[in-house]
Amino acid sequence: MKHEILCRPAATAVRFSLDAEESLTCEVGAMIAMTSGLHVETTSRKRGGGGGLMKGLKRMLSGESFFLNHFTAEKPDQSLLIGPTMLGDCIHHAMRGGTMIVQGSSWMASSSDIEIDTTWQGFTSALFSGESMFWVKCSGDGDLFLSSYGAIYAVEVDGAYTVDTGHIVAFEDTLQFKLGKAGKSLIGSFLGGEGLVCKFQGQGTLYCQSHNPPSLGKLLGPKLKPK
Amino acid sequence: MFDSYESFQGGVFHASVPEGRAGASIYLTHSEIVAKTQPEGEQTFSIRLSECQLDLGGASGRMLFCRTPDRSLTIFCEEKGFAQALHQDAMGTLSEQLSNLCMTQRRSENQFRFWVMASAVLLVVLCVGGYYGVLAASRAAVHALPISVDEKIGTIAMQSMDLEEPLDEEHPANQLVAGIVDRLKPHAAIREMDFNVVVVESDEVNAFALPGGEIVVYTGLIEQAESAEQIAGVIAHEMSHATLRHGLQSVSQSLGIIAAIQIMIGDVGGLLALGSELAQESILTGYSRGAETEADLEGARMLHAAHIDPKSMAEFFELLKEQQGDIPGVIAWISTHPQHAQRIENIINYEKTLPKVEYHLLDLDLSAAQQALK
Repeated sequence: MKHEILCRPAATAVRFSLDAEESLTCEVGAMIAMTSGLHVETTSRKRGGGGGLMKGLKRMLSGESFFLNHFTAEKPDQSLLIGPTMLGDCIHHAMRGGTMIVQGSSWMASSSDIEIDTTWQGFTSALFSGESMFWVKCSGDGDLFLSSYGAIYAVEVDGAYTVDTGHIVAFEDTLQFKLGKAGKSLIGSFLGGEGLVCKFQGQGTLYCQSHNPPSLGKLLGPKLKPK
Repeated sequence: MFDSYESFQGGVFHASVPEGRAGASIYLTHSEIVAKTQPEGEQTFSIRLSECQLDLGGASGRMLFCRTPDRSLTIFCEEKGFAQALHQDAMGTLSEQLSNLCMTQRRSENQFRFWVMASAVLLVVLCVGGYYGVLAASRAAVHALPISVDEKIGTIAMQSMDLEEPLDEEHPANQLVAGIVDRLKPHAAIREMDFNVVVVESDEVNAFALPGGEIVVYTGLIEQAESAEQIAGVIAHEMSHATLRHGLQSVSQSLGIIAAIQIMIGDVGGLLALGSELAQESILTGYSRGAETEADLEGARMLHAAHIDPKSMAEFFELLKEQQGDIPGVIAWISTHPQHAQRIENIINYEKTLPKVEYHLLDLDLSAAQQALK
């Protein structure tokens, strides 16, 4: 399976070239276009077993869909085009036996060997981080495609790193994430417009998005006419 | 080569690994921690136990990191038995580091538990405080409303009630009750309240007051009473409910609590409908225990001010207590008026604190009324 990321970063789409028998698992609704030799299967399970009802329900908690779409090439040389819901970027992350913790709606596609599960990051981060309460946990060997709102940039953390709430796309499980204040004093942090921030500790890759959807909502919301 | 050793799933960070990181199988020998990247046997890394530096972290907070002193190589594992196995195989070399990490973790867990407990306690305090706050606020709000509100609610409640035809105004029982009300009226806490009493035919020993001064007395009560003063005691109690505005208070409290819940949860249409129904019920079915005690004491004050012995009210409770079980109708009044012995004691004690006055018997004919009802 080959992939090509097009039109980064504002209106990104990913084009896959699949050989016969190769398959890809995608988020529901991510498909933009495809050639005719692809077989689409929609289930709540991982391809070839695993998962089922509970996994589907857990996925829903994290903001993903209950169902998954599996695209399998029945003929050689098939092409599939997928894209994110929001205006934004997509990235490819090659996984080699580790675990990636992905923010609710950022998981877009992964090769069928990757296990997709749900995890949660504790009460405080759930309530105040501006991220969803549950996260998608991807583990195994293979390719992972993540989407975002705005551009994605990767940071190799070794030590400590701080990200504003709402800007996390994904991080490796070797990183620990805690909620803290941006400045020394809590009031100062709020007056500075940063409020609470997510503080990462450890070693691993972290993906951030340049924009965050709640901020857009706050900006647009008051300008909309009531129904 | 490492088949004889226990293996754990984890990973490794090293510059020579593509992307800098890879999953690995981890083995513990007596002198080293060995990591073989996956797929099996691709690359092998090892850290000598004697120079290994341990650290705890990761998304779960339970991942153990083993590093070389120059941090060029890191082997990490999250499996449960790993720390234990490391402790055993290291033969004391890493014990100090491990126990330090253990303590740090325990401290942070305790801290977390403390915060969870603290927030739970705070939540309970806020809920309880909010509840009583709303009750107190709605109580204060009721006293700011004009009495005409009570009257309107009373009239609506009266109309919605399915009562038997009231007795004729000329009926001796009606005359008796009207006489008692006339005697008590000048001593009511709200002078301008217009009391209106109706006697309704029913075997139940019951009487109740609606907001605004509408009072209903059942004939069963008149038949069971031993003296006109006992009836005066019950009527004073019911008049007190009206002048203390208990009906309006229970409505406003229910509404206040519903409003508070609505503010917290958001739009709850169903809850609101249920709440208004509850409020309507609460006027008709009875008041809280606190309201009953308040009405007892206020009733006793009125009786005392009208030179009627407040002990007659206590006597009537005594009578009910004795007859309880004999007459099915009595149960109705008792069910909304709990703790008889306590109430009798309260009234008698309160009477002792009042200045001594001469009590007069009522100049009203109870036996004539009872005869006429037969």
